Amino acid sequence: MADPITITLRVNTRVHNIGVEPRATLLHTLRELGHTDVKNGCEIGECGACAVLLNGEPVNSCMVLAVQADGATITTNAGLGTMEKPHLIQAAFADAGAVQCGFCTPGMVIATKALLDRNPNPSEHEIREALSGNLCRCTGYGQIVDGVKLAAKRLASSRQTGGASC
Amino acid sequence: MNCKTPLDVVGKQLPRKDGIARVTGQEKYTVDISLPRMLHGRILSSPYAHAKIVSIDTSAAEAMGAVVLTFADVPKKRYNERIITIPPVLHKDHYVLADKVRRMGEAVAAVAAETEELAERAVRATVVEYEVLPAMTNAEEAMKPGAPAIYDDVLFGETVEPIVNNVACTRDVDEGDAEAALAEADVIVEGSFVLPKVYHAQMETKSCVCRPEPDGGLTVWPTTQSIHNVRILLGEIFSIPLSKIDVKRVPIGGTFGSSIQMNAPIPICAALALKAGRPVKLVTTREEDVHDHTRYGATIDLKLAAKSDGTLTAADMKVVADIGAHNIQAYSFLGVSIGWLVSLYKIPNIRYRGTAVYTNKALSCAMQGFGNPQVTFAAEQLMDMLAEKLDRDPIDLRMQNYIGLGDTFWGQGPLVKSIVHSDGVPELMKKGAELIGWDRRNKPGLAGSERLRRGIGVGRGFHTSSAGAPQPGDVIDFSGAMVKVNIDGSIDVVTALMDHGGGTHEAIAKLVGEALCVPFDHVNVVPVGTQTTVYDCVTHATRGVYAGGGAAVKAATSLRREILETAAKYLNVYPDALDMKIDVSAGQAVIFSPAIDCCRMTLEELAKRCWMESWKTLASVESYRPTNCPPAYVSVFLEVEVDTWTGVVKTVNAVMGSDCGTVVNPSMAIGQLEGGLSKGVGYALYEGCEWDGDGQLTSRGFWLDDKIAAFGESPPIENLQCFFADTYEPTGPFGAKGIGEAAMNPVAAAYANAIANAVGVRFFELPITPERVLSALDKHSGVEDATTSGLLHDQPNDRQGVRS
Repeated sequence: MADPITITLRVNTRVHNIGVEPRATLLHTLRELGHTDVKNGCEIGECGACAVLLNGEPVNSCMVLAVQADGATITTNAGLGTMEKPHLIQAAFADAGAVQCGFCTPGMVIATKALLDRNPNPSEHEIREALSGNLCRCTGYGQIVDGVKLAAKRLASSRQTGGASC
Repeated sequence: MNCKTPLDVVGKQLPRKDGIARVTGQEKYTVDISLPRMLHGRILSSPYAHAKIVSIDTSAAEAMGAVVLTFADVPKKRYNERIITIPPVLHKDHYVLADKVRRMGEAVAAVAAETEELAERAVRATVVEYEVLPAMTNAEEAMKPGAPAIYDDVLFGETVEPIVNNVACTRDVDEGDAEAALAEADVIVEGSFVLPKVYHAQMETKSCVCRPEPDGGLTVWPTTQSIHNVRILLGEIFSIPLSKIDVKRVPIGGTFGSSIQMNAPIPICAALALKAGRPVKLVTTREEDVHDHTRYGATIDLKLAAKSDGTLTAADMKVVADIGAHNIQAYSFLGVSIGWLVSLYKIPNIRYRGTAVYTNKALSCAMQGFGNPQVTFAAEQLMDMLAEKLDRDPIDLRMQNYIGLGDTFWGQGPLVKSIVHSDGVPELMKKGAELIGWDRRNKPGLAGSERLRRGIGVGRGFHTSSAGAPQPGDVIDFSGAMVKVNIDGSIDVVTALMDHGGGTHEAIAKLVGEALCVPFDHVNVVPVGTQTTVYDCVTHATRGVYAGGGAAVKAATSLRREILETAAKYLNVYPDALDMKIDVSAGQAVIFSPAIDCCRMTLEELAKRCWMESWKTLASVESYRPTNCPPAYVSVFLEVEVDTWTGVVKTVNAVMGSDCGTVVNPSMAIGQLEGGLSKGVGYALYEGCEWDGDGQLTSRGFWLDDKIAAFGESPPIENLQCFFADTYEPTGPFGAKGIGEAAMNPVAAAYANAIANAVGVRFFELPITPERVLSALDKHSGVEDATTSGLLHDQPNDRQGVRS
């Protein structure tokens, strides 16, 4: 067992100074820290359930070592919104019926956030391409596409009215 | 009450109760539960498919401080992980840990340690000596005399039954005189269909958290479709009184049938917790999960006989089911396989021979449709072939023969018979044909010679809503629920019924709200366990809304009676003179007498008065046995484009029609249809687990090597239309019946029919991969050199979708 390495992770609103095994993945580390909204679907980058924003860029957290994220700012799905005040994307997913079992949803929301940050008005093709690394076995994807489109639409109107950005 | 119109809550598009928790990542699944002093479990999985376990050395693992279990440590009780079948006719072949390895990945030993890492190191330090045996990976080979025996014997009920030639069980059904009918037939169509074992690919892997309690009992948080069946099995295996076992109902990250049985990690986790005397969490990896469960693989030899006027007269069907390493429900599978066929179409004469065979592969279990997609794939292709032979329109031929209103129906097997009371098939077929543009379909045999060829096909089907029947059979099917009124007028629905994510609980809340005239946001399906709920068999057989909802409505109906009788005393009026309605201004239910203006009180006032006056809680508990299992019909119309250069099949247009009776959750019902299409396209075109001669899963447990449909494989939104037949099921809660499994059942058949219409070649084996398409086209010699690349049809019209 290798000696732990001390790292700092800024996760949502919390700062963690922790010791981690050099081989520990960011996924495992986040979940052990209580960020259970980051879901473990496969651990080998196949399904996208564990996606987080690492310094604003979407990554599968199972494919990143925790030590690689030292000093980084990490946003998980739960960092985007709360039950009382869900993020615009989260609310759009709920309203569009984009959620069934919900296990893939945190990763889907993160992938959507990353997409809309760089492309606020994506075409359906662009949506499908941006989310192509995220698997869902329940919905058949159509209502997730609906959810992303609805989020983009609401984002545009909130920008017009000077509301919150995505 | 079921005839109440218009409905206040049912059928309304309302914010989903658990939606915000799920989108914000606050929903807690089994894998998210952590307990104080919890150990982490790991399973030692066999690398071989078939082997004797000669010895296991656990000393190194124990020296690390791990708790270790082997076969020697677990109760010597054989069980069947699925106890929907009644005990006297249940095959039992499984132990908590393996006495002998019968599949790759089988649990040979298990450990629990302070950390996941230590547990993993303890597993790797455990030394198992195996005597490797020849693996049986082909059912036909496994049945041959002299083939290596996977089992010597199993328990049938409590009787030891020898296993001969690896045959787990057989089931024959004969009705009428099939032989004579076949001999007299004007036309016969037949095919030999090969259906693969397919991985469920639910997003959450099978997992369990288990806490031993001071009274010798257990509290369990499992991935399951039935908390009560897990409780009963754990009680039997570990000899613990059921009253001391509380199995919690936990949200599950998809299942699709894969947790109809008590998954292997659950009793292993319980055994570890009991030995350690501490809570244990056991989460399987994706690789372990892929090795653990599949859809039933099967070969189906099917022959249909008909008169020249198209009337079906006989069916001769032979099914050989590849059940893998354990018998979960093989006898039921063999029963429903013929049930699906004879409930699709009226066939007076039947000869059916079903055989279920053990192989050294992942165990076969329920997966969306439970044999129905397999049988429908065969039957719906033969119906197209028959139509072609008779020069009939495939839709007309189906309408002539289908099982509909007033017909006897026994989809869930010979002992589960009922009468069809609602039938949306005419509407489904008519509207589906219009929306896909059926008149654009190629004439059979005129499939063009271009590179990209389009074709249109149909598959129709159904699934049962529950396995209910007028008499008890060999399948346990009933639900229960308690409904109570709190002193603020809110309602607790206390049910063990599982929701797999499709909105079953949402439906239950709506049905109860409707029955009690209570606003939707006042009704909650509360968290429960087995100690606080009455029995609910299992969420399967598309029974959640119909039968689970039936129980909730029955309890709510009794409660409504009690509410009226109680209010009558306070209001000084006869109970029969009272009624209930939603009072929009009060935002809650009111009890009132239509004839007397001042004679009214809100439900909150009533409940609070019952409390303040120390009288009672308004509550009702009921069990409900459905005596019907109505068919939830589905039609699937597809337009595909086959690239004859690459063999790739693209979905151009899809129309999914559903007859689910009253649509309780509109957007979630669409989600069921779209999800059914997605899993169906996977089954049709991509998915299939394969094992090599040594019984090694060739995907090695990796998703990338056993692809499921992703965003790129579902048709564009504007090219996917869903619609619902306008029907009302008189035996269902507020007219509802099922939807989920039905949505998937005819999809693969529709693809095969559309592909055949495009390229003139029929595929009897799934999946219809590009390789298989190219190979078949080569054989058919229908492919010209790829010098032309035109489309058979113009681009699809901009049709007005009815997708909401």
